[in-house]
Amino acid sequence: MTAIFDHLSLGFGAALSLANLGFCLIGVLLGTLIGVLPGIGPTATIAMLLPLTFGMSPLAALIMLAGIYYGSQFGGSTTAILVNLPGESGSVVTCIDGHQMARQGRAGAALSIAAIGSFIAGTAGTIVIAIFGPVLAAFSQKFNSPEYFSLMVLGLVSAVVLAHGSLLKAVTMIFVGLLLGMVGTDMTTSTQRYTFGIPELSDGLGFVPVALGLFGLSEIIVNLERPETRSLLSGKITGLWITWQELKASIPAVLRGTGLGCGFGILPGGGPTLSAFASYTLEKKLAADPSRFGKGAIEGVAGPESANNAAAQTSFIPLLTLGIPSNAVMALMMGAMMIQGVAPGAQVMNQRPELFWGLIASMWIGNAMLLVINLPLVGLWASLLKTPYRMMFPCILAFSCIGIYSLNTSPFEVVVTAFFGVVGYVFAKLDCEPAPLLLGFVLGPLMETSLRRALLISRGDPMVFLERPISAVLLGLAALLLLIVIVPAARRGRETAFQE
Amino acid sequence: MLKIRAPKDFYAGLVFVGIGLLGAVLALQYPLGSALRMGPGYLPTILSCVVVLLGLTILLRAFVIDGEPASRVVWRPLVFVTASIVLFGVTITHVGLVISIILTAVVGGFAARDMSRIELIVLALGLAAFSAVVFVYLLGQPFDLWPT
Repeated sequence: MTAIFDHLSLGFGAALSLANLGFCLIGVLLGTLIGVLPGIGPTATIAMLLPLTFGMSPLAALIMLAGIYYGSQFGGSTTAILVNLPGESGSVVTCIDGHQMARQGRAGAALSIAAIGSFIAGTAGTIVIAIFGPVLAAFSQKFNSPEYFSLMVLGLVSAVVLAHGSLLKAVTMIFVGLLLGMVGTDMTTSTQRYTFGIPELSDGLGFVPVALGLFGLSEIIVNLERPETRSLLSGKITGLWITWQELKASIPAVLRGTGLGCGFGILPGGGPTLSAFASYTLEKKLAADPSRFGKGAIEGVAGPESANNAAAQTSFIPLLTLGIPSNAVMALMMGAMMIQGVAPGAQVMNQRPELFWGLIASMWIGNAMLLVINLPLVGLWASLLKTPYRMMFPCILAFSCIGIYSLNTSPFEVVVTAFFGVVGYVFAKLDCEPAPLLLGFVLGPLMETSLRRALLISRGDPMVFLERPISAVLLGLAALLLLIVIVPAARRGRETAFQE
Repeated sequence: MLKIRAPKDFYAGLVFVGIGLLGAVLALQYPLGSALRMGPGYLPTILSCVVVLLGLTILLRAFVIDGEPASRVVWRPLVFVTASIVLFGVTITHVGLVISIILTAVVGGFAARDMSRIELIVLALGLAAFSAVVFVYLLGQPFDLWPT
């Protein structure tokens, strides 16, 4: 137990330097900004800013990018409550009751409880990482190629199970992603695969162009298809106070949401959006009078907003301890670490403890900053919402181009980004979620390497994955998950959970 | 006569089958190897075949279950947004950052129907100035500002 305090004090020491505090502040402010503005999400923002982190120290870069992520979860709630639009996908359910509260003149209370809940959840998330991070990291020391392969299989399976929409399409998207990951030079034989003779492709498709195209550009195109409808709630936001009764109703919801978020955040494919949905469903089920939901029940704001923030926090665990990203934003964080020459995984904690613990400490500091600065700034954020989208998107386009080009000074990657923008648009039109594809794309090369190595160790015997106990348990879990989804009853349960 | 009952799924299946077939045909050029010593073609072939199979399943299922109608493609944003990015990639090494950004913003701006000409010109010039100051002078990114 004392070890945790030693670690945390090391972390706070690193995170509290003036420069790092500054980057933390920039990160959470930027995160809140893009969280508030609908039409641009953390995935695209982090992809755009990644090249700028070249010159920073590794810790400062990670602190800033992480701040963007959890800051955006925080900002998303403001838009959900005031405009009835999710600023961020994690805030979709907050619209339901949050906006109703705003219509009843309780916007201030809704914003406050979202902020307080987020802070409590953020604190809990920080503690969970501090406790479970080292345990998982120590455990992963036992891992060899077969275990890593099985772990990635489990990760992909749970990403499919937890994805929105059609299961079959999500599975297919994963395989398309794995296939895209094959582009480039084969590591063992140095054969050029799927490179079409283009020299730039011999290192494989760049991760940032693919992510920015699939998530950023395609979203802009889709947004521009429909005319802008944004009805900002007129009238001033009066008072941020919460009544005693509202607080009493909220606290249990905050705690339950925090618990759910911490759990779902760790699962690959889980993350903030799913946690918020789960929390809303749970609160509605537990409520003495479920009919209040949809009419401004404060629990419907408190629970999901805590859950999405907790999940944003704990989704760092798989990346920091196992080196495996659990969602698209974590895949970008992995890219940021590699740019800085830090290999993600358990060794970070042992070799660069100040990096690991500094990042964790900064998350708590960042959450405290969000609580202190943002409530007074609500008016400013609300006025930013009046910016029309037609003025916003050319800026996003220009900054995306600059970001992508300066990553490798490569004009080719800019064109790749445009290409994946079109690909993402086609998939969006066909209701195919891009997130599983991106996970498959990131994990593809890692999986191929560990699969080949594992089979080399076992002299081609695939039983190696079942003979090694840890690997067998991981594969068993994956099979169990798949079974649960395929069984019709559970499948119905999953569908209703997403509908609510 | 078979009727497509889930057009969106039908087209999705079609796209997947296309991707899978392309992947499989290209993978034929690479040595396959065996499970013990996998050649560079081993996994791509397997993955492509799985994509084809899954795509076929989605495609055939579209005849059996009801689903959403296909949504219409609005060409204007698709064409102008894509063109603006490609334009940046093509011009940046030749004309420098300032001109490239102006081109990108102006062409991209055509994607929005409700943009006035004056708004667009002001926005493009402002963006170019902002990018030059922030990214090149302050952040030291590797750009030429003007044609070299």
